[in-house]
Amino acid sequence: MTINEMKADILIIGGGSAGCMAAIRAKEINPSLKVVVFEKGDFKRGGTIAMGMDALNIVSIPGGDSPEAYVETVGSTVDGILDQKPSLVMAQRSYELMRKLESWGARFRKDANGNYEMLKIHPKGKFCAGMDEPDLKVILAKKAESLGVEVVNRTIATSLLKSEHVVTGATGLNLRTGEFVVCSAKSTIITNGGCSRFMMPHSGHPFGTYDYPGNTGDGWAMAYRAGAKLTGFEFTSNAPLIKDIACPLLYITLTRGAHIINGLGQRIDNEGDIGVHAMLREFNEGRGPVLIKMDHLPEEKIKEIEEILFTTERPIQKRFFEQRGIDFRKQPIELFPTEYFLCGGHGSAGLVVDEHAATSVEGLYAAGDAASVPRQHLTGAFVFGEVAAEKAAARAVSLDWPCATQAQIAAERNRVFSPLSEEPSPLDLAEFEQKVRQTAGDYAVPPKNEWKLKNAIKWMTHFKEELKALKAADFHELAKILEIESIIYCIELSAIASNARKESRWGSYHYRSDYPEKNDAEWKKHIILQAGNIPGETLVSFQDIERSVL
Amino acid sequence: MSKIVDKELVKVNKELCARCGICIDRCPLDCLHPDKDGVPYMKYKDCWYCGVCEYECPFNAITIQLPYLVR
Repeated sequence: MTINEMKADILIIGGGSAGCMAAIRAKEINPSLKVVVFEKGDFKRGGTIAMGMDALNIVSIPGGDSPEAYVETVGSTVDGILDQKPSLVMAQRSYELMRKLESWGARFRKDANGNYEMLKIHPKGKFCAGMDEPDLKVILAKKAESLGVEVVNRTIATSLLKSEHVVTGATGLNLRTGEFVVCSAKSTIITNGGCSRFMMPHSGHPFGTYDYPGNTGDGWAMAYRAGAKLTGFEFTSNAPLIKDIACPLLYITLTRGAHIINGLGQRIDNEGDIGVHAMLREFNEGRGPVLIKMDHLPEEKIKEIEEILFTTERPIQKRFFEQRGIDFRKQPIELFPTEYFLCGGHGSAGLVVDEHAATSVEGLYAAGDAASVPRQHLTGAFVFGEVAAEKAAARAVSLDWPCATQAQIAAERNRVFSPLSEEPSPLDLAEFEQKVRQTAGDYAVPPKNEWKLKNAIKWMTHFKEELKALKAADFHELAKILEIESIIYCIELSAIASNARKESRWGSYHYRSDYPEKNDAEWKKHIILQAGNIPGETLVSFQDIERSVL
Repeated sequence: MSKIVDKELVKVNKELCARCGICIDRCPLDCLHPDKDGVPYMKYKDCWYCGVCEYECPFNAITIQLPYLVR
């Protein structure tokens, strides 16, 4: 167990979409900055876009739908629980961002006249740009490495370092070598995603397809422990995706003429237009399944759809459909709601940030799925990765190097390594995680009520105690125990937030059987969570919505 | 109980595999590790069937399969 003590102007925790872009931007601004990235997997394929992306979901093209129109449409998708400035900044910078990605080699789909293929996935306006880039992450990673970004692979961040009220870096564990990494940093950016391992997927396989399973809310848990504010944790979201494999394909097929039908054979899309909640209602009201029907489409459209689905985002889909004997020309595709999860990119949960990507704690920034910029998607990860880097870089030049104390290092090292043992673990780690996540599915997700939510909190308190007895045979398992601890934190915080919001909102995402109505008069506000002074205490407060744009 | 032989999701063709380790380096979930001969095997069951190992292998030595629960 060696200790690697490092210093950085900017430490970035998580080398996925947001983290990679933050690293590039920091070096663009000031090549002399020392920029370090902790990446749990491998930088070249780390994060949720490991196997590429088929769209950049939010782009406001000059002459097309405006950034203000985006703020309006995204606001309507989250029932108005959205601070407007961050979403405006994102849309304003989105076109420049797309051009930048294009200049680095990312391929966007264009029509015969050279216009970008723009898809309608919001209630109003066309903001989604089609992309064909299986190697997007590799392009970004190579760019970052060519600029001299220092990457520490296979390293899970364990805790933030603090000096009084300021964040001064973080500690990490290399899950292959067991090296304990201490990185003192002038500015720290959290970009390690949301919590995809929340409840268990319906298939029974522990790792859902949609989001990177390494996203276990580590950043949220460590920022919470460091005093940062979290919000949107009651926004437990899911999506109707391909049953069992949970790959997305809806908009790719809809925009090429597919029809959506329910279990009663009724067509439920309006000429290619349908919202997620309308589809989820079919399931919730017993009219499922929801099917994508394409047998009426011409061969060229089918080929186009197959080309996108089988090459860019998840090529394994090809094998899935072959094994199930599904040919889009003949059979429909069955959709099913995914498990509920927490994510600042597709949903709303995350660290409280302003339009400068600053969290509520000095020295700490957040971007991507870790930050609450509701429904920001990949565009948000890239734009706020850049914004965070700009602010973090400006802060770094004005400061002296912080230095972690030996006492701090020893205490955290002891905490992290204490489960490492040659003794057998009293519980199987996979089984323990399964029980934690099944309990989330039983009590912390819709339909919610006070009894269930309080029971979820009670169980999570119990699991935190049980976790203390778990043993790890190697460093991979040691990291897994840290991950499960973060998952427990996320479920508990989600149940606390859900219990605080005494109304129903966001379609089925926050349906409370004891408060079944939406109540704008009382509840059109944010629910903020913060660690209290007493160990285990969570402070709940409320914050007004910022509406400076519209 | 009969022996279950089809549990590994990552199949490696040992004749094509050059023991270069690229798949082991790239696996986002640290599933793959080298065996005593340097051939990758699934040491941990945390597979996300993302397909990165198959896609990145320069020698087409890897085929992944979906977990039974998913396929």
